[in-house]
Amino acid sequence: MGEKKFMKGNEAIAEAAVRGGCRFFAGYPITPQNEIPEYLSWRLPEVGGSYVQGESEIASVNMVYGAAAMGTRAMTSSSGPGISLKAEGISYLAAAMLPALIVNISRGGPGLGSIQPAQSDYLQATKALGHGGFHAMVFAPNSAQEAVDIVYDAWEYAERDRNPVLVLMDGCLGNIMEEVELPPMKELKDEDLPEWSLSRRNGRDYQGNITPIYTELILEGLNAAAGEMYKAWEEDDVKVEEFMTEDAEYVVVAYGIASRVAKEAIINLREQGFKVGMIRPITLFPFPKANIKNLDYSRVKGIIDIEMTIPAQMREDIELQVLGRCPVYEYGRSGGVLLDDEGVYEAIYEIVSGGEIDG
Amino acid sequence: MKQSFVFSGSGGQGIMSAGITLAQAAIDMGKHATYLPEYGPEQRGGSAKCTVVISDESIVSPLPKLCDNLIVMNEQAYAKFVWDVKDGGILLMNSCRITDPEDLPEGATVISAPVDDLALEVGNAKAANIILIGILIGATDVVSEEAFRLSLNEKFKDKKPGILEMNLNALEKGIEIGKKYKK
Repeated sequence: MGEKKFMKGNEAIAEAAVRGGCRFFAGYPITPQNEIPEYLSWRLPEVGGSYVQGESEIASVNMVYGAAAMGTRAMTSSSGPGISLKAEGISYLAAAMLPALIVNISRGGPGLGSIQPAQSDYLQATKALGHGGFHAMVFAPNSAQEAVDIVYDAWEYAERDRNPVLVLMDGCLGNIMEEVELPPMKELKDEDLPEWSLSRRNGRDYQGNITPIYTELILEGLNAAAGEMYKAWEEDDVKVEEFMTEDAEYVVVAYGIASRVAKEAIINLREQGFKVGMIRPITLFPFPKANIKNLDYSRVKGIIDIEMTIPAQMREDIELQVLGRCPVYEYGRSGGVLLDDEGVYEAIYEIVSGGEIDG
Repeated sequence: MKQSFVFSGSGGQGIMSAGITLAQAAIDMGKHATYLPEYGPEQRGGSAKCTVVISDESIVSPLPKLCDNLIVMNEQAYAKFVWDVKDGGILLMNSCRITDPEDLPEGATVISAPVDDLALEVGNAKAANIILIGILIGATDVVSEEAFRLSLNEKFKDKKPGILEMNLNALEKGIEIGKKYKK
């Protein structure tokens, strides 16, 4: 289809957003995601969109709220510390039922952490992106190409659900350059503006309001409807890759950059005769519960959770599906120290060859 | 065939541009490549490192620790990464900055070249990155000489006269050195 380019993950995300219809960005600088705003600062004006470097993260996310209320495809991006600051605004987006794309190019944590890559924001992304008990769909691509494909369609999910969507990638994938094939520009017309958007409610046709404020019974009803929506995601929207799981005696669960390093190790371990496979969640929320739950535990001897963070954060979600039917192991690097091929190979080898590491 | 490269040194030594240029050349030749930069918060003088993986197949992991070709441009990079070259790999050192290496991996082919001086000889310290690539092209089959010349022509066609010639000179100097180590 489209053109092939050698692009940085962050820039590929920015271009895919524009081609997916994004016409508003507001954000505040933070490493390792700065190429996203830098790119959009010149790219959005080219297509008639608006770019704002806000005075803060909080101001930026609230500008996204305003743009989204008008029906404009809007986004913001940051890294862990900045996402924490945006938490209030993201919760308000969910409350006001506004679609928007949030991108987190994550780094070491907690606190200021490090500017180097880490997968330390899984729990924040999947459990509590802000206060009040809401969820966003969380996508975790493992290549620049997959990031492009996901970001390109992010607003289709966000507008369908009237809910923010989160793309979670670590700084490694944000900064890596690799080949991407870019999709064509989505040409959105005025009649594509969502029914509920304020742009459609001009003058005398004015019907109401976009608000995050409700009376108790209405709020309770909206909470229940959100609960139904999350269940529907589990039915319809789980994205997952299985690799050599058919006969696997050990199954690695890994997402994002960790899944690529793990896959390399699995290919090498298979050559040594070890029956190892991998389940890679592409959506972290909804989590691919069934893939882990329905493994044949008469064959599977262990699950290995590999993440670029210590302690592993996805482990609880895995254990809830394994339910003690086999041991769950974990291996990771953290704080901005990268996983590498040799380290991951060794860690998996130790486990599958019968050695014990802390389970 | 998959080959990995780690370029290391300090900010301003052309580490990152050498990595990108090599990866881009491989892609122009129809191969697959990944390029991963790693750097500290400093704009200049901090440590700089990038990892390039080039392969005929699509690349699964971009994060090897041990590499086939290790390029170290200063003492700090030498001290930090010298043991990360694979047995049978190439260790390329900038002898202008690494004057008295204490210990070298036995299994690697060591190429010690005065990269800084050679760059000044062709006219600009910034040509160091092309000299490095020239040495690697001479010593391995990572990308063909001819294809890389063409990509230099393309890259510098709109620049001031002389820039292209300088880079082609840098490339020749590198290739000449590299060829002596070709297996």
